[in-house]
Amino acid sequence: MATWQRRLRALRANLKVCPHVFAAVFVGLVAAADRAAAQPAAVTSCETCHQGQASATLAAPVHDFRGTDVHRERGFTCVSCHGGNPNESDKARAKAPATGFRGKPTGQMVIAVCSQCHSDATLMRKFAPKQRVDQAAEYATSVHGQRLAKGDTKVATCINCHGAHGVRLISDAKSPVYASNVAATCTKCHADPEHMKGYMLPTGAPLPTDQRAKYEKSVHHAAMVSGDLSAPTCNDCHGNHGAAPPGVGAVANVCGTCHTVFATKFALSTHSQIFDKGCVECHNNHDIAKPSDAMLGTDSAAICATCHSDGDNGFKAAASMRAGIEKLKAAIAHSQGLIASAENAGMEMGEQSLNLREAGNHLTLARTAMHAFDPKTVEIGTVLEEGLGLTSKVDAAGQAAVAEVSYRKTGLAVSLGAILLVVVALALKIRTLKSSE
Amino acid sequence: MVTQPRRTFLDGLLGLGFVSTALSVFYPVWRYVIPPANAEPATDSVVAGKVGEFKPNTGAVVKFGTKPAILVRTSEGEFRAFTAVCTHLECTVQYKPDTSQIWCACHNGMYDLTGNVVSGPPPRPLEAFKVNLRGEPGQEDVVISRT
Amino acid sequence: MVTDALLAWLDERLDLSELRAFIAKKTVPVHRHSVWYYMGGITLFLVGVQVATGILLLLYYRPSASEAYESVQFIVSQVEFGWLIRNVHSWSANLLIVMAFVHLFSTFFLKAYRKPRELTWVSGVLLLFIMMGFGFSGYLLPWNELAFFATKVGTGIAGAVPVVGDFMVRFLRGGDDVTGATLTRFYGIHVAILPAITTILLGTHLLLIQRQGMSVPPSVEKREKAGEKIPAEPFFPNYVLHDVMWWYVALAVLAALALFLPWELGKKADAFAAVPAGIRPEWYFLAMFQTLKLIPSHVLGFEGEMLGVMGFNIAAVLLVFIPFLDRRAADGRPNRLITFAGILAVIYLIVFTIYGYLAA
Repeated sequence: MATWQRRLRALRANLKVCPHVFAAVFVGLVAAADRAAAQPAAVTSCETCHQGQASATLAAPVHDFRGTDVHRERGFTCVSCHGGNPNESDKARAKAPATGFRGKPTGQMVIAVCSQCHSDATLMRKFAPKQRVDQAAEYATSVHGQRLAKGDTKVATCINCHGAHGVRLISDAKSPVYASNVAATCTKCHADPEHMKGYMLPTGAPLPTDQRAKYEKSVHHAAMVSGDLSAPTCNDCHGNHGAAPPGVGAVANVCGTCHTVFATKFALSTHSQIFDKGCVECHNNHDIAKPSDAMLGTDSAAICATCHSDGDNGFKAAASMRAGIEKLKAAIAHSQGLIASAENAGMEMGEQSLNLREAGNHLTLARTAMHAFDPKTVEIGTVLEEGLGLTSKVDAAGQAAVAEVSYRKTGLAVSLGAILLVVVALALKIRTLKSSE
Repeated sequence: MVTQPRRTFLDGLLGLGFVSTALSVFYPVWRYVIPPANAEPATDSVVAGKVGEFKPNTGAVVKFGTKPAILVRTSEGEFRAFTAVCTHLECTVQYKPDTSQIWCACHNGMYDLTGNVVSGPPPRPLEAFKVNLRGEPGQEDVVISRT
Repeated sequence: MVTDALLAWLDERLDLSELRAFIAKKTVPVHRHSVWYYMGGITLFLVGVQVATGILLLLYYRPSASEAYESVQFIVSQVEFGWLIRNVHSWSANLLIVMAFVHLFSTFFLKAYRKPRELTWVSGVLLLFIMMGFGFSGYLLPWNELAFFATKVGTGIAGAVPVVGDFMVRFLRGGDDVTGATLTRFYGIHVAILPAITTILLGTHLLLIQRQGMSVPPSVEKREKAGEKIPAEPFFPNYVLHDVMWWYVALAVLAALALFLPWELGKKADAFAAVPAGIRPEWYFLAMFQTLKLIPSHVLGFEGEMLGVMGFNIAAVLLVFIPFLDRRAADGRPNRLITFAGILAVIYLIVFTIYGYLAA
């Protein structure tokens, strides 16, 4: 039985209410919710009383609930989650135990309250047919859920991420769980050293609080900020409700949900058996920078050199792969220069520009092929060779263009010769005309 | 007299000079006025080929200005054209007949036949071009144009 | 023989006897300064080259903002010998301006403008302005970055003229900004309006020269008046052959320049791009441009730029009316002031053009 179900049963027991009454109240609440959806919510006595309170903690929920709130807009009211009698203006009677009033839910109670509707497929079908109804079950498997079960109330529950009053759809750009807001929501706790004091990694080291700072340096954050909302943020790698770090051996799969080609090659490589942290071993997890060719190789700046040393197969492969990539890069640069000067001299080099673009594609493919970490560098070798074949084709065309320019210069020299011949002949002619007078 | 043959020789030389310089001026001018193979600057439109060259459910990459473009003929025979420059890292895309999608081999980006990204890393859809048929029915030219 | 038969056929119908007699009798004086006579001929030859290459370029050029640059690129890379035609056109334009200035200053210092040749001078100076107009309008036509911004700056300067300045800017630009409308307008000016005006002015200029013959410098005229016989050569065939020889030299220079120093196309104009650093007009406007840059923004309560532009306009008017200002030249007397002003102008133009180049 899930924790929340156990909690619901305990609640029932704690309230010392007759199970039948409890069931009736419970069903009544759900039914009320059901009916409420059909008609707009009338102003409850809860709101009338609370909005006039001096304390912000008591008054704010009314204000927030009256703003954009997905539950209010569908006819749910205070009592849907808090219980109580919405028509009773006397405080004691409005909050009598018999009304099912449960005050401010905390800890497991939150999960129970939210999932009373959100785990009910029949109910949810009336409001959002495609929405999932297993969030609570997922949550129970998460680090947050497991710790909550052990009694840790510092962990996040539904309302820490989604809010309680003023809940917005996740597609609403102002929702705390809208794609571009997720990092800020998660790190409200996770970047707070005070809050995270006492939590440890499996290794015994304290849980870091610099994930957001690191993430903001990453290429994924840059993509998100530039408008690509499909770029990964916390939940894409860690999960939503079942949030937990990917385990050993799972990292490559997680990265591979988007970076499929690399993950496939990596999975078949020797490194997949050796790297505990998979892709993270070379690319980091939160501060994933834009990769550069400098990461590959055998010099001090390269990552390969941290494990491989002179003489072993990996060292040799790394050196040859890097050398191959640099060679293709240089060939492309050289060809580009040749084309530019030919174009400037008036030759049409559009076809060659296209070939050079194709050579650039091979460079991209080579960087992908590298992730197979093949000591014999078969695939990457083939790709690089094809690329070099293209650049030499372009070079040949470029040389032909330069030769054409030389040919033109020869042609010009010939016509210049003819022109000078005329000039000389004319000068002589004029001289003879003068002398014959 | 001595001056006579020299003058004729000089006149001959002069005549030769005039003719050869005239040739070296009029020959380029003559070649210039003959239209080149591509009759127009191919910036806003390009002829990809004849209708018959493109079978249904095939794609072809053609040069369009300075960049490649992909021409797809759907299984129903309709022509679609997009830029062949992948919006991820600018690799040249190709047509995949088995899934009827446009695919980028570099990082497995997939686009549907409206140019929208289906899966993979590309952040934006492919820019679409217009395709028109022009000429004798049955032997039309397939013309890709920007607008 | 063929030419004789042809001439006889025409003579029968048009009676060329007067013309033939005129040409047969026509002579050209030969003296220390007679080499300057050929400067005008070379300028005329270059005008002919411009017309011919310009017409050829017309066959492929497209005067719209979206096609102009690409059509020039097409000419240079796809059309056979297009690179040659385009480069000859660009280089000949520059050489033409140089020769026009040489011709201007040689006739100025040799006082060829004195009576009875005042109108020849006036039409010539106007032709110089027209040629600079050709240069300014033609420069924009490839629609590249440098030309776009140079035109923006250049047409903007016209706004400094008081009263009609704003109208002039709108008239030149075809709107408030430099756009495709400007390109079309400049194209019309370059291939139709200015050539029409040139035909009239050039025709007048040449007709006057043929009617009045070559002017001789005052020193030679003095010797002539004293009774000395000045040697002369027949116009046809001697002078003509000599002229043609110089034309061939100009052709050789043009061909060499076109091949060894090809004109770059640069980047296509982008109206929304930032102005590239060091933007400046073509070299023949550089002296004026540099001068305007040096004038302080306000002088004695007037806008500096307005003073500069008006100053140039006044100088231009003075230049046109030189024959009427230099009354002494008619008598053959030297005019120290005019000569000095001329030398100053040459020095100013050379120094400020170099200065303009180095300052960029």
